[in-house]
Amino acid sequence: MIELENIHRTFQVGEQSVHALNNINLTINKGEYVSIMGPSGSGKSTLLNVIALLDQPSSGIYSLNNQIVTQLDDNQLAQVRRENIGFVFQFFHLIARYSAAENIEIPMILAGVPIQERKQRVADALLAVDLQQRATHRPDQLSGGQIQRVAIARAMIMQPQILLADEPTGNLDSKSGEGIIELLENLNQKQTTLVMITHDEALGSRAQRIIRLIDGKIV
Amino acid sequence: MMIQDTLSYSYMAIKTQPIRVMLIILAMSIGIASVTILTALGESARLYIVNEFQSLGTNLIIVLPGRTETTGGQPPLFGATPRDLTLADAEALYRSHHIAAIAPVSVGAAPISTKGLEREVTILGSTSALRRVRHLSLSKGHFLPESDANKALSICVIGQTIKDELFAQQQAVGKWLRINDRRFRVIGVLESEGQSIGVDFDDMVIVPVASAQALFNTQSLFRILVETKSKQGMYKAVDDISEIIKQRHEGEDDVTLVTQDSVVNTFDEILAAVTLTVASIASISLAVAGILVMNVMWVSVAQRTAEIGLLKALGATKGQILCLFLTEAAMLSFAGALTGVLLGKITLMALQISYPDFPFYLPVWAIFSALAVSLVTALIFGVLPAKQAAGMNPVTALNKR
Amino acid sequence: MRYIDVFNLAYRTVISHKLRSILTALGLIIGIASVIVLTSIGRGVHSYVLSEFTQFGTNLIAVFPGKTTTLGLSGATISTVRPLSLADAVSLSKLDSISAALPLVQGNARIEADKKQRRTTVLGVGAAVPEIWKIKVAQGRFLPKNEQANPRAFAVLGHKLSVELFAGRNPLGQRIRIGSDRFRVLGVMEKKGQMMGYDMDDTIYIPTAKALDMFDREGVMEIDLLYNSKIQLKQVEKEVKRLLQRRHGREDFSIITQDQMLKSMDSILNVLTLSVAALGSISLLVGSVGILTIMTIAVSERISEIGLLRAVGAERGMIFKMFLSEALVLSFIGGVVGIFLGIFIVQMIKFAMPVLPVQLAWFYILAAFIISLLIGVIAGVIPAIKAAKLHPLDALRAE
Ligand SMILES: Nc1ncnc2c1ncn2[C@@H]1O[C@H](COP(=O)(O)OP(=O)(O)OP(=O)(O)O)[C@@H](O)[C@H]1O
Ligand SMILES: [Mg+2]
Repeated sequence: MIELENIHRTFQVGEQSVHALNNINLTINKGEYVSIMGPSGSGKSTLLNVIALLDQPSSGIYSLNNQIVTQLDDNQLAQVRRENIGFVFQFFHLIARYSAAENIEIPMILAGVPIQERKQRVADALLAVDLQQRATHRPDQLSGGQIQRVAIARAMIMQPQILLADEPTGNLDSKSGEGIIELLENLNQKQTTLVMITHDEALGSRAQRIIRLIDGKIV
Repeated sequence: MMIQDTLSYSYMAIKTQPIRVMLIILAMSIGIASVTILTALGESARLYIVNEFQSLGTNLIIVLPGRTETTGGQPPLFGATPRDLTLADAEALYRSHHIAAIAPVSVGAAPISTKGLEREVTILGSTSALRRVRHLSLSKGHFLPESDANKALSICVIGQTIKDELFAQQQAVGKWLRINDRRFRVIGVLESEGQSIGVDFDDMVIVPVASAQALFNTQSLFRILVETKSKQGMYKAVDDISEIIKQRHEGEDDVTLVTQDSVVNTFDEILAAVTLTVASIASISLAVAGILVMNVMWVSVAQRTAEIGLLKALGATKGQILCLFLTEAAMLSFAGALTGVLLGKITLMALQISYPDFPFYLPVWAIFSALAVSLVTALIFGVLPAKQAAGMNPVTALNKR
Repeated sequence: MRYIDVFNLAYRTVISHKLRSILTALGLIIGIASVIVLTSIGRGVHSYVLSEFTQFGTNLIAVFPGKTTTLGLSGATISTVRPLSLADAVSLSKLDSISAALPLVQGNARIEADKKQRRTTVLGVGAAVPEIWKIKVAQGRFLPKNEQANPRAFAVLGHKLSVELFAGRNPLGQRIRIGSDRFRVLGVMEKKGQMMGYDMDDTIYIPTAKALDMFDREGVMEIDLLYNSKIQLKQVEKEVKRLLQRRHGREDFSIITQDQMLKSMDSILNVLTLSVAALGSISLLVGSVGILTIMTIAVSERISEIGLLRAVGAERGMIFKMFLSEALVLSFIGGVVGIFLGIFIVQMIKFAMPVLPVQLAWFYILAAFIISLLIGVIAGVIPAIKAAKLHPLDALRAE
């Protein structure tokens, strides 16, 4: 479902240009569990951002569900993101003034889901990440592991086919990290495509496929 | 995205910064309040003056002797003319059937006295019609009787100030008064007009026009006040009057006709222009408040960069982000405008209590335009920061801490 | 820490937030500039009006019939049982302190010259018009002196009237008719223009006695006196009063000096300028709330920076000074730029619309500058106190 062909991504920093992605060819099938590994600065996040449609490749073709998405305009990209892709970040990115439930609700607000349905789905999502008791807590009243579970609930609330995670455990202790990984793998078992960046060999090897990047190239 | 969600998002965002919000509301409300108050003052003054002018009479035409050809110059307000405007001229005007009443007026100053108290006052000579034409009312006694205008009766009607000064607590009606060297019997006392523009009837003695002419040894009239039967008849009456006078003055067009309408309109226009000018100067402050809104929105956008990145990653479109930040700006301005209108209203109420005689009036359109202006201000000044937010690159925005 | 360093630091911070600082200062700039422009217009109108009045000279006294006169308009001007007479004017002119007297009657009549005619203002005056009203004769001469009581039928035309009646022909010596009386044109006055809505050029000057006859009046409407500038005004006033009281047996006239007129005009116009300044200051007030807002934001944004500075040994006073000088730098820049912008706009107005009287009001410009600095202090103090009060540990933890 995810097909990348000859993807390049270069950044221009003053006079210098950085070749963050160098001719990436990659296909990820529906329901697959892929981990991306590689040294720091090798282009992992850049790749994930391209897959997430947050970033546009400098050249190459990206097709998602057989539709070429490299040509889409900003609004269309937003819609595709909203409907197909869930994202979990290393630094959680919850809105501090919102409660756990409200943070989970945001994607549905953006999509214009009716209020009644929203409440029900948020309640289900909280149950799924085992945070029913924490619905009204704000991020500063939650632990790191809980915050990341809220973020996962938020990523899954629109029931995307693809879940992307950029070092989801990077800021957690190993025990909470373990819980998060189990949660993500559970989702994968329910046919969600999971792509995860990690630095941890043990975590990475749990995936069906490991993609290794060095200097923007797949090795 | 639904409207209530947009509103609630913006409201939540604003709520986290109470001090900032209060200051913006303060700034905006100062501007809105001053525009509101100044507009209200101008409007009230305009209405007050127009009203005052209208209460001077209805369908009034003033005939002045003399005419100048300078365009746009003032009418000959108190100049003399070789050919007088006479009582006979005034009476001849009855030939027009658009005219309901005619009050010839002659004016001069003379000393008046009772029992050794003497002072100089303005003497106004007219006929019984003056009461009707100028809407005068009496507190005691009668006005000049309906009689031949050429008869110099020795009777007078005095204003309230003169009554107080010359007769104090005593009954004035029936008493005698000396005007220069003639004796006049007081037959009535005018009701005080309070604050009034133009002529101060409180400080005046009204005598029959023929008596006044005898007193000042003149045949000429100062003015003729004419009341027409209807508003529509006014312009016909103006034509009739010119025609009649011209005939009587050997074909010479030597009077100036001023309609009450034109005077009222002139004042109306002048005061409306003044109000507009003052209100526009005050609304410079709205622009300043708008700049503040813009500045604070820019700060907000900068501080919430990561949040904007997140919203984009979660699938928010450019339009949605633009809308969110514009709503925020509009909310801030609107809150300020509401406070400002309220503040203006309170100030006007306080003014009304301190000056009960002057009717303060805040037009409804002023309130609505204040609110509308604040919204427009917010949209104009909010658009740049909101655009910046909408146009952010999600990846860079997300990585900004 | 030295003051120069404090200000340098503040300046650097202000510069680093370019957009924000520009917008903050802009609020102030608009406020200050509008105060300057508005007061300049006020000031301009002020001196325009005063110069309109002083163009007649300043050593002037006007005597009006009637005691209750306010600024020369009362029933007594129209008719009175105790008129001011020509003889009054003559005897006033004989006072040592008075160098010229001008008895005035104003009316309106039709002027005919050959085929042309025009209705216009008739001024019954004496020979002293050029001297007292400071109007020059352009052609011919003015009414002759010493003919107050029994003058010949001479007339002098205003500039516009002369053009209207004679259209390029030489009016001197021509016969004209005013009402039903015949006059001979003796001179034409120079162009003078409008004066407070009254066209000085659409007039005709004839001897006062003739005007009294023509309008069938007993008394004049006004006597203008030019007094000797070496003599105190008070003294002149007293003498005029004494003379007229002796002649009339009572005080049935009013004296208004040019000085009084100018003074009351001056105070009215000053109030006007003050009110437009106040009107402009509303923006200034809003601008200062702007600085306050931005300084409050600056403090809350930089809490951890404050913590760090405190941790490395900055005293409360220094933190206070830092934020206060930031506000001062902002308001100083706003003030200076505002003043320049204001002056620039005023010059533009002068250039684009030369008829509009504008004049820089330096007093208000100075006041605006001082106020802008005051705004800086006031708007800076509260946030600065808040910053200085922060506990270093709390501040550091805020991140
Ligand atoms: N916006 C940008 N502008 C310029 N260069 C960038 C930008 N984003 C990434 N890069 C560069 O692209 C290269 C790849 O960066 P990327 O963030 O993908 O690395 P990474 O593999 O995720 O590293 P890490 O493991 O440290 O997160 C790096 O050399 C980085 O400096
Ligand atoms: Mg990375």
